[in-house]
Amino acid sequence: MHNIEELQERLLEQVAKSTEPREVLKSVELRALYGQIGAIEPTERAEFGKRINTLKVKLEQSVAARETELLDSDVALIDITAPFDANSSSRVSLRSQPGTRHPLKSELERVVDIFTRMGFEAIESRQIDDDFHMFGALNFPENHPARDGYDTFRTEEGFIPPAHTSTMQTRILAAGKEKLERGESIAAVSYGRVFRNEDVDATHEHTFYQCEGVFVSETATLGEMLGTLRSFFETYYGQNLKIKTQPAYFPFVEPGLEFAIEKPAELGGRPGEWLEMLGCGMIHPNVLETAGIDSKKYRGFAWGGGIERLVMLKYGIEDLRHFESGKLQFLRKFA
Amino acid sequence: MIISLNWLKKYTKITLDPSELAERVGARIVEVESVTDLGAKYAGIVVAEVISAKPIEGTDHLNLVYINDAGVTKDVKRESDDSIQVVCGAPNVRKGIKVAWLPPGSTVPSSFGTPEPFILGTRKLQGYVSNGMLASAKELDLYDDHTGIIEVDSNVQPGDDFAKSYELDDYLFDIENKSLTHRPDMFGMIGFAREVAAVQGLDYVSPQWLIDDSLDGPTETSQELRVIIDEPSVAERYQAMVFDNIDTTRETPLSIKTYLARVGVRPINAVVDITNYLMIASGQPLHAFDYDKVMKLAGPSPEIHVRHANQGEKLELLDGRTIEMSTSDIVIAAGKTPIGLAGAMGGADTVIDSSTKRVIVESATFDLYALRATQMRHGIFSEAITRFTKGQPARLTQPVLVEAARLLGEWTNARIVSKMFEAVGTVRSFTPISLEVSRLNDTLGTAVSQNQIVDVLHRVEFSIIEESENTIVVTPPFWRTDIRIAEDVIEEFGRIEGFDSIQPVLPVRTFKAVEPQSFDVFRKSVADLLSRDGANEVVTYSFVHGDILKKAGEDLTNSYKIINSISPDLQYYRQTLTPSLLNIVYQNSKQGFDEFAVYELNKVHPKILGETHEHVPVERDSLALVVSAKKSDGRGNAYYDAKHIFELLTVKYRSGVSYVPLDENTSASYRAFEPRQSAQIVSGDGTIIGVVGAYRRSVAASFKLPDHTAGFEVDMRALYKLYSEGIQPYVPLSKYPSTQRDISLRVDTTILYRTVYEALSDALAVEKELVTTVTPLDIYSVQGSSTKNITFRIDIVSYTQTLTGNEVGDAMARVIKGVVAKTGAEIL
Repeated sequence: MHNIEELQERLLEQVAKSTEPREVLKSVELRALYGQIGAIEPTERAEFGKRINTLKVKLEQSVAARETELLDSDVALIDITAPFDANSSSRVSLRSQPGTRHPLKSELERVVDIFTRMGFEAIESRQIDDDFHMFGALNFPENHPARDGYDTFRTEEGFIPPAHTSTMQTRILAAGKEKLERGESIAAVSYGRVFRNEDVDATHEHTFYQCEGVFVSETATLGEMLGTLRSFFETYYGQNLKIKTQPAYFPFVEPGLEFAIEKPAELGGRPGEWLEMLGCGMIHPNVLETAGIDSKKYRGFAWGGGIERLVMLKYGIEDLRHFESGKLQFLRKFA
Repeated sequence: MIISLNWLKKYTKITLDPSELAERVGARIVEVESVTDLGAKYAGIVVAEVISAKPIEGTDHLNLVYINDAGVTKDVKRESDDSIQVVCGAPNVRKGIKVAWLPPGSTVPSSFGTPEPFILGTRKLQGYVSNGMLASAKELDLYDDHTGIIEVDSNVQPGDDFAKSYELDDYLFDIENKSLTHRPDMFGMIGFAREVAAVQGLDYVSPQWLIDDSLDGPTETSQELRVIIDEPSVAERYQAMVFDNIDTTRETPLSIKTYLARVGVRPINAVVDITNYLMIASGQPLHAFDYDKVMKLAGPSPEIHVRHANQGEKLELLDGRTIEMSTSDIVIAAGKTPIGLAGAMGGADTVIDSSTKRVIVESATFDLYALRATQMRHGIFSEAITRFTKGQPARLTQPVLVEAARLLGEWTNARIVSKMFEAVGTVRSFTPISLEVSRLNDTLGTAVSQNQIVDVLHRVEFSIIEESENTIVVTPPFWRTDIRIAEDVIEEFGRIEGFDSIQPVLPVRTFKAVEPQSFDVFRKSVADLLSRDGANEVVTYSFVHGDILKKAGEDLTNSYKIINSISPDLQYYRQTLTPSLLNIVYQNSKQGFDEFAVYELNKVHPKILGETHEHVPVERDSLALVVSAKKSDGRGNAYYDAKHIFELLTVKYRSGVSYVPLDENTSASYRAFEPRQSAQIVSGDGTIIGVVGAYRRSVAASFKLPDHTAGFEVDMRALYKLYSEGIQPYVPLSKYPSTQRDISLRVDTTILYRTVYEALSDALAVEKELVTTVTPLDIYSVQGSSTKNITFRIDIVSYTQTLTGNEVGDAMARVIKGVVAKTGAEIL
């Protein structure tokens, strides 16, 4: 009377053939089986219950699979080569809808475009990377406390969704080595999506966009870095801007700074109001050396900043979560 | 991390006002997140002496108290002897003690800054008027002690301003310490003060005890102890001393408690408070063990060992948790028994309690990387480990321990009963750093002199050990474990001088133009085209919940799995973009958007694509679009809508694409699509570009898709390849007028449209004189019929002459004959 396995096989077979598989779950035999629980010796009851449970789970799974199969069966074959269906004349009239680009994407394009015009090549960053490119190559030793600040996700295999676009830095530097040796400079920006393992609210996102840049030459200076960044923001906001910095610590630069601009008039700024825009600094010699570049001969600077902030300031967007929400109410505001 | 300006003032002058200082600190040291005016919170609180206190009959705990404020408070009702009546419920209120009195009109500090501040008045309690109140530590918002009112130290006089007496007329800076992880010294007030002096251009002298760490204590020892670092890598230096005459009922002076409290450290007892006070001051954590408990655990030989934990070794911590350790944790052991997780937390078995008579105070440093791993593994974020993981210098352990000995004697009458025990492991070595003046100027873009550099470095206590033309050889002070290379010294100079004094300039470069990446240009053109056609670009998360993959019929094992997400929604990398788009269709449709198309350009990471030569996963640039309408009336299958939109992208390409039935591989890669109502898009060379089609019914049901929904997903790099092969060349217009002919062909329903279209095109191609364009006008089929009628419009023109009606007629007759021969069509 405990022949659960036999019953299971029989019921699964019924499910596989049934056009109404859920009915099988109501079968008399199954109910009778549940009824037996009370009659079982208490010592064996747990074991019996476990077996019945396994049976239930298996049945449920096969019912769901069969339902999917039934739902997906008997679908009419259509002529995939035709321009439209027989007897149909109209299409979904998208032309009457306000088509839009996503504000983050169009802003990112604008940022990249300015840097391109300033002479920086643009390289999109990866969305899955390894510990070496995320940390090791950027002068973060194993177990270094500075790694904590990045709240990185990890995959089962140990891959890392990049927490900054700097994962591209070593690649860009290594690829640009030849240029340096020809007497040219490395000038590139990398842009893309980055990830931090954080709770999401109106001002925090686990997923966001960054754009960062590197410049390496025999003569690069921190003064040139400040000039380059100021020039970018002056183009971006179409006005002259005051800048200021404060010391910051990022293991991959030395010295490291936070860069701020005086809030532009376009954003309703008044003198004395500052906006922190990005982190920057002179590339640490260890980072250059890891990329195979002689740090005695060449110097460089690097910076990186977020795109969301630019977009939110520009439009006065109140909630960071709108960006990835897929809400047409939000998206169609950018027509 | 909270920095108290009054605490800093114990070590340096502050000439700037607090907001100026905050700005200067922000520009030169570290971001100041907020500045709190502590003085405002303690305004009006007066020190008073209790003249008399007696219980109020009929109440269980209230006392009628008269206090003396030396007459300093205005506008308060006084008794004939000038005393003031207050009702107080604290058990410790008694004649002779000095207390913190909150007069009427003052605000209870614990309610200060809250939406409902409690402003005291004169009110009746059990029939007795109370003028203000006598405050507990909790009401004063100092620390969590509400067992009685606070008792003020004997050197403070009635009538004194409470805030002034305890230097609570202070400003607190909240510091963003994530950017200080390389600066162990800045995790102490002394180190911070040193920086504050430097950025103000003021000289700074370290406290004497920090420089002269000689111990004024016994050289012989009456309490036996040996300290041993078993493996040199686990600790640089381990020092310990034994004290007796410990009285744990002794309290730390209130003046020290108020300092601990304002930076967020709860006072406990004098021994613990002293270790905490010195940690906050110097950045060097100390730990105190109960000596007798340690000796009992140590067994016959009184030894303390510092070693790696054994795998699986257990330890009950002070916070009551029992942890299981691994071999990368470092333990302090009494003999063989672990008594502390080094740097992180002491063990419960050696805790100081009311029975404690003797203590061992430990001052040590440990391998910071091992400690950080310990911190992560066991989730310990104590003040001590926060400091240890920054790499405190080994030089600091002795002076701090010596100062602890002094304070223990002074505040608790504890006696030193041992010499200083010491064990040394592998000590990090610091070699002098050679800095070229020209390199500093070249890096910063400045033109400062050697003397200026030397001056600035002196200000932050660097020693100049050698100087020659263009070269300075320096050793940083011992607390600057972060200064290792010339670049560090350059930063130090730039920071103290102020980076903002550097002139921004643009790099001088060659005039070569930079081209945008052509793939980026292509991708933007695709997005612009789709948006111009009325579609909305979205970006959705790169990680999805497993349920979304399942709903789309995708195989979870083909997705990279995120293992540490704090959000349950972020479990897997995407294999395709389609499921994310399908996931937002319903919400928009429900919001009243009846017809729309959304698309996304993003990367996907199906595992099946494998890894690159760098051994990281191959990424695919994908484009997916979903077009959806609530009603499908008269529109036929939604497949054709999706296909129509996709064709917008390829219509201009020189090499066309074809739409063929899905093969098994493609179907497996794009599981959401119904194979009988989808096509795989294939380029001329056989490359599979992607899929266009309607979704499986099961998928549509689980995402609650509106009836008329279809879409496509394509590999952008494959599409880019087509694009880069060129677009349709320009064909000059004919000088001659064109003419049009419509033809309707009846064919068997099993004959594909493409077969008919190609037959027509082939037949037209034979007519060399004519240049023709074919446009499908209509496909008609009676329900249940075995035939369908296809109508085309043919636009005809010649480049050599104006065509006559007969010429066109003859040509069309030949064309029709050709089509009929190939397809068996009937001409209507």
